[in-house]
Amino acid sequence: MIVAFLVLSVYLLYPTYRDSVHQSNLSNLSGEDSTAYFDEHEESIRNARAGRLKLGLDLQGGMYVTLEVDIVELLAKLAKNEDENLRTIIAEVRQEALTSDEPVLDLFSSKFEERNMRMSRYYGDIRDENADVMEKLRDESEKAVDRALEIIRNRIDQYGVSEVSIARSGNRRIILELPGVSDEREVRGLIQETAQLEFKLLADENSILKALGNIDRVLLGKELEEDEDTTTVDDPALAEGEVPDDELRSDEETLADADAEADELAEDAADVTASDEDALDAESIADEAMTEEEQLEEWKKENPFRALFSQADEQTLIASADQRERVNNILRRSDVRDAIPDDVSFAWGAKPYVTAEGMDYYEFFILKRKPELTGEVITNARAQTDQAGFGGAVVTMQMDAEGSREWARVTGANVNKRIAIVLDNAVFSAPNVRQKIIGGNSQIEGMANMEEARLLEIVLKAGALPAPVDIIEERTVGPSLGEDSINKGLTSFLIGLAIVIIFMVVYYQYGGVSADMALIFNVVFILAVLAGFHGTLTLPGIAGILLTVGMAVDANVLINERIREEFGAGKTIRAAIDAGYSRAFPAIIDANLTTLLTTIILYQFGSGPVQGFALTLMIGIICSLFTAIVMTRVILEITLDKSPSIVKFG
Amino acid sequence: MRIFQNLNVDFMGKRKLFYMVSAVLLVSGVVSITFKGLQFGLDFKGGTEVVVRLPRTASIPELRGIMQQADMGSIEIKSFGSSTDFIIRTEQKGVGSTISDDIKTALRENFNQEIEILQENRVEAKIGSEIRRDAVIAIFFALIGILVFIGFRFKLVFAVGTVAALFHDVILTLGLISMFTDVIPSLNLEFDQAMIAAFLTLIGYSVNDTVVVFDRVRENLKLFKTTPLEPLINKSINTTMSRTILTSITTLLVMTALMVFGGEPTRGFAFAMSIGVFTGSYSSIFVASALTLDWTTSRKMKITF
Repeated sequence: MIVAFLVLSVYLLYPTYRDSVHQSNLSNLSGEDSTAYFDEHEESIRNARAGRLKLGLDLQGGMYVTLEVDIVELLAKLAKNEDENLRTIIAEVRQEALTSDEPVLDLFSSKFEERNMRMSRYYGDIRDENADVMEKLRDESEKAVDRALEIIRNRIDQYGVSEVSIARSGNRRIILELPGVSDEREVRGLIQETAQLEFKLLADENSILKALGNIDRVLLGKELEEDEDTTTVDDPALAEGEVPDDELRSDEETLADADAEADELAEDAADVTASDEDALDAESIADEAMTEEEQLEEWKKENPFRALFSQADEQTLIASADQRERVNNILRRSDVRDAIPDDVSFAWGAKPYVTAEGMDYYEFFILKRKPELTGEVITNARAQTDQAGFGGAVVTMQMDAEGSREWARVTGANVNKRIAIVLDNAVFSAPNVRQKIIGGNSQIEGMANMEEARLLEIVLKAGALPAPVDIIEERTVGPSLGEDSINKGLTSFLIGLAIVIIFMVVYYQYGGVSADMALIFNVVFILAVLAGFHGTLTLPGIAGILLTVGMAVDANVLINERIREEFGAGKTIRAAIDAGYSRAFPAIIDANLTTLLTTIILYQFGSGPVQGFALTLMIGIICSLFTAIVMTRVILEITLDKSPSIVKFG
Repeated sequence: MRIFQNLNVDFMGKRKLFYMVSAVLLVSGVVSITFKGLQFGLDFKGGTEVVVRLPRTASIPELRGIMQQADMGSIEIKSFGSSTDFIIRTEQKGVGSTISDDIKTALRENFNQEIEILQENRVEAKIGSEIRRDAVIAIFFALIGILVFIGFRFKLVFAVGTVAALFHDVILTLGLISMFTDVIPSLNLEFDQAMIAAFLTLIGYSVNDTVVVFDRVRENLKLFKTTPLEPLINKSINTTMSRTILTSITTLLVMTALMVFGGEPTRGFAFAMSIGVFTGSYSSIFVASALTLDWTTSRKMKITF
């Protein structure tokens, strides 16, 4: 069993070791070399990253932010009409919320009770009782937190920070952990900026081809060609792309969603070469002498930008998650930017399509730069099951009068074209317009499930009703302090461990050696368990492990003292060991259980760094019970069988 | 090597003397807490703090001057473990935390170069009061949990003795922290979340120690049913003494390593924990055991397991 534990620990810690090897290799190389190294060992690096022991923000540097949704602000925004009374109530609630522990909504409703006013004057349906209104408001505030979470998640995704953790905490808070980020100002902007929801038409074929062609040409260092027609002719393969053949249903006032189609495309994307070869068909007629592979290579050479995509025709561009960063890097280049036509903009699909192989693919959209409409016109959006159709998930959307007029014009002029719903420059859906929509009531279909529909509802509402958030806690640790802390933490840990190990051997001789072996295994086990459960090692965590080292020997001290006592009373060494272990056992168990009890409470009520400490201490106590009682005994008995003369307890 | 072999000290006979010692220490601790008070860190007060590493060594008055020029209002400046690293803190919050930007700008202008920011924290007072509330709840539940556990595994008298010892340890350590605040340079004894962790850990440690003594008392009560409680407790303490000393030494050794080499963030924690090791061992004998003895003799109780 001990061997099994050891093997498991080594297995769990191996990625951590690999990761540190890769990191040090990477930091020794520079520029070109490091990119090459990354490419070469990409998979190994990725696997090591996923399985390694994670370091807390205090050790690797980064930002920790707690956000709170401003319910008071939300209440002010939700009101159907506003008057002096409501303004006074809101001002009072805002004041009291600063000091009171009571939920804002309860404060709010008690203000109405005090004044004997009906909440339905401002919220919900006019016939609603206060309790009904409260329920609706509770629901709204719940949704506001979801919305804020989704908006922020979306932005952080676009911003490209890796290993971010975004989590709800309590009923109106969101906790963000951004490792490696130290530019608070930028993050603050990301979080507090008002959400931008836009409806943008997909650019027409010619603009798309021109944009792609121009980028390829810049990358090849060729002159730009001004004539659009030439561009099109230049790419015969792309000219004969498939036209989407959505199954349009004859519902009134309906937008057909292109997501369903996109899902199919995601499947296509799985076999990369196949689609690229399709694109080559035209050229292969022109030059049959080339083998298919050579043709593919040739095409990739001539179209370096398009080659980054798994599928690239004027309808759909799809790239794997790995290529996404490369595409973005190219688009950031100033010469590339200059070559992009003024009337188009780029955006990625917000959520990846996951193929059967577990690879993430993102759709890349080339949109008209100017939005047709912005999100403020949306008055309501709701995810529901489609009553008229086959009961699939749909999202209905209502617009105000002005928005409806504009919407009718836009949809009327663009029947059978795709219009993208873009939140903070990420495309959440790009449905096909089926017919002119008059009156502002639209229905978006083709969602794979209710969850997807709810996400779209959240996104649509983000334009109409922003979820105001306050940053109530913000902690940033710079990279140099993080490195400092790792070094100091490690130094103090190793020194502390060494002192204890030496001390035990000097004091207990062989009894100390077995305790020391147990101690070292204990540390290995703690780290392995932490890595195995995807725990995070923080600086207080290191302190916790160190404290465990100090306290774990306690069990062995208890046992060894007992063995000495029994041996002194005239027992044989074997009998003394037996008696020592069994007599010390109740004390060890009781003592460790009480300590475990306090660490559990600490974990429950502590936050952030304190939890890291409590977690390692907890794991440490459990592991130490095993190593100090079971392991030392096995070690002692084995040595007792093989060479009994070295077993001494001083 | 052996220490305290065949120790035979009449600990319980001297308990009145040590009650006095404890009382004096507790009273002076409480006096210090009342008059000198404890220093609460950002976690509890709320506000903004920036930890900077300056390009050259500087003094606190110099920095204070810079901050006053920049019209920063009430500012607290502390050393962060070295003569180039400082904590600059204000209780103001400022919208969008522009305060930390102001601090950075003022320093940048005065030192004529980019200032390295080691750490930056901003906490609203609301969060501070929540952390405070959670800490109190946590300690309260820990004490209740221990009371129930010891009552269940031993006897209620023992549980009362243990919890009394815990109160003793917590108040004494608080008092000592209050006394040592600002006495030793570069030893930052501010009350923050790490300090709360230290207190809960020292509670755990103190119980651990008490349990070991009580376990021996329990065992001896089963073995020697006719021996009176006082000599029996003495015997138990004497036989567990070498273990108590040894575990205290190993724990103190690692805490000292942490205090010396662990850097600023864990120093206060290690200090509180070190005091806890002393009070924890002391209170097992002179508070937990002694009170249990006095309680049972005054009520003429007979304890059997």
